[in-house]
Amino acid sequence: MNLERVSNEEKLELCRKYYLGGFLLLPFLWLVNVVWFSLYLSQVCHLSRYVIRSAVGAALWGLGLGVWVGLFQTRRNQWGALGDALSFTQPMGEP
Amino acid sequence: NDHAESETNGQPQNNIQQVVEQDEEEDEELTLKYGAKHVIMLFVPVTLCMVVVVATIKSVSFYTRKDGQLIYTPFTEETETVGQRALNSILNAAIMISVIIVMTILLVVLYKYRCYKVIHGWLIISSLLLLFFFSFIYLGEVFKTYNVAMDYITVALMIWNFGVVGMICIHWKGPLRLQQAYLIMISALMALVFIKYLPEWTAWLILAVISVYDLVAVLCPKGPLRMLVETAQERNETLFPALIYSSTMIWLVNMAEEDPEAQRKSKNSTYDKQASQTQNEDAEADDGGFSQEWQQQRDNRIGPIESTPESRAAVQALPSNSQASEDPEERGVKLGLGDFIFYSVLVGKASATASGDWNTTLACFVAILIGLCLTLLLLAIFKKALPALPISITFGLVFYFATDNLVQPFMDQLAFHQFYI
Repeated sequence: MNLERVSNEEKLELCRKYYLGGFLLLPFLWLVNVVWFSLYLSQVCHLSRYVIRSAVGAALWGLGLGVWVGLFQTRRNQWGALGDALSFTQPMGEP
Repeated sequence: NDHAESETNGQPQNNIQQVVEQDEEEDEELTLKYGAKHVIMLFVPVTLCMVVVVATIKSVSFYTRKDGQLIYTPFTEETETVGQRALNSILNAAIMISVIIVMTILLVVLYKYRCYKVIHGWLIISSLLLLFFFSFIYLGEVFKTYNVAMDYITVALMIWNFGVVGMICIHWKGPLRLQQAYLIMISALMALVFIKYLPEWTAWLILAVISVYDLVAVLCPKGPLRMLVETAQERNETLFPALIYSSTMIWLVNMAEEDPEAQRKSKNSTYDKQASQTQNEDAEADDGGFSQEWQQQRDNRIGPIESTPESRAAVQALPSNSQASEDPEERGVKLGLGDFIFYSVLVGKASATASGDWNTTLACFVAILIGLCLTLLLLAIFKKALPALPISITFGLVFYFATDNLVQPFMDQLAFHQFYI
């Protein structure tokens, strides 16, 4: 949808809904929230509240995910059975 | 053009004939200008979809491996004689087409009797399937192809995010670019499913028959799609925003040059105001079953914007004598997702099974784009809902078979004999 035809109150409401939705394990939603509404920070008051919190949330998730993926990729072999159980795909061939 | 128009209107008009002619010329110019912009605006998504499909076909072998067939195409093509194979593929195509026809008619009936809940439920189930299940498979295959290890937790999180944000963008409200990107991705996923599960001859036959069906369904007075479009026009509603790709752009247009049809149809138009329009568009029917068919009846329509309740409210709130030239207008083109899917199926099959490989793929790609150009040109001229499949698919099929059987052996021989032309 095009945000230009939408009133400021509705923009705020939409931003707020995206922010609340992100708590359902949806960092991508927070990221979209930040990118989409950052253009309107100056126009709509109180928008920054949600945008900044979404940004913080997305950054934290990104950090956590990065740490987990790094751990998994490097330590998977050492974890034995647990590593195999967690693996969705396993690379074939010699390490 | 707009500026000249307003100046003419302001001055005392000595020669009315001249002004009328100028109006018509500018109208035509504007039509063609719209037409050209729309062509470009549709090239990009169609190209992107095809690029994604071809890239996947080339790299991920899963989609070219034969792992069985859909239940809608029960006859196998691994037969002993050519005749048997031809018969089987004709039967397969017939079954598939009848399923599609039935689904389309079902959709029209549901729409006519206002069973909107059923239609919405159907659409939501099929988008859920596409966004979660098929993308899960796709992701798995991509990881296997590139031999990376991935854990369930990350995968679950990725698919969950992808799917939920996709549902939000497509069915509710989301950034336009993201919605377009998601529509392109689900079209590509659908096309990949078709490419994998349709045997060769069946696929070509189905493409041919479906473009004929598209032509019939949209243009014949009793065609289901035409009825759908007309019913939507009568009710002044949009059809299935979840299954239409729309690209909007902002124009500053003088009111006098507005599409008169659009003005007539607008709910609250005054002569000076382009109210938000309800769009008559392509109906997309899909059956949402596991072995999916999207019965698409795709039309194109240049014209009024897709209106949301918010934009309608916003426009209604404008003062009624606002200057036309200050009123930003949105004009977009809409193309049904089925068109994306079948174009991509054609190009994907060409890249998967052609002996000429990239030559054939590129030829089909160019053919489809030319067909799309012509279709949009016709749309600009006729200004009514048109089927987008026939011209492009015809060109695509002709180019595929010609390139594969004529051009490629020629080029092979040239290369073999080191003869450069």
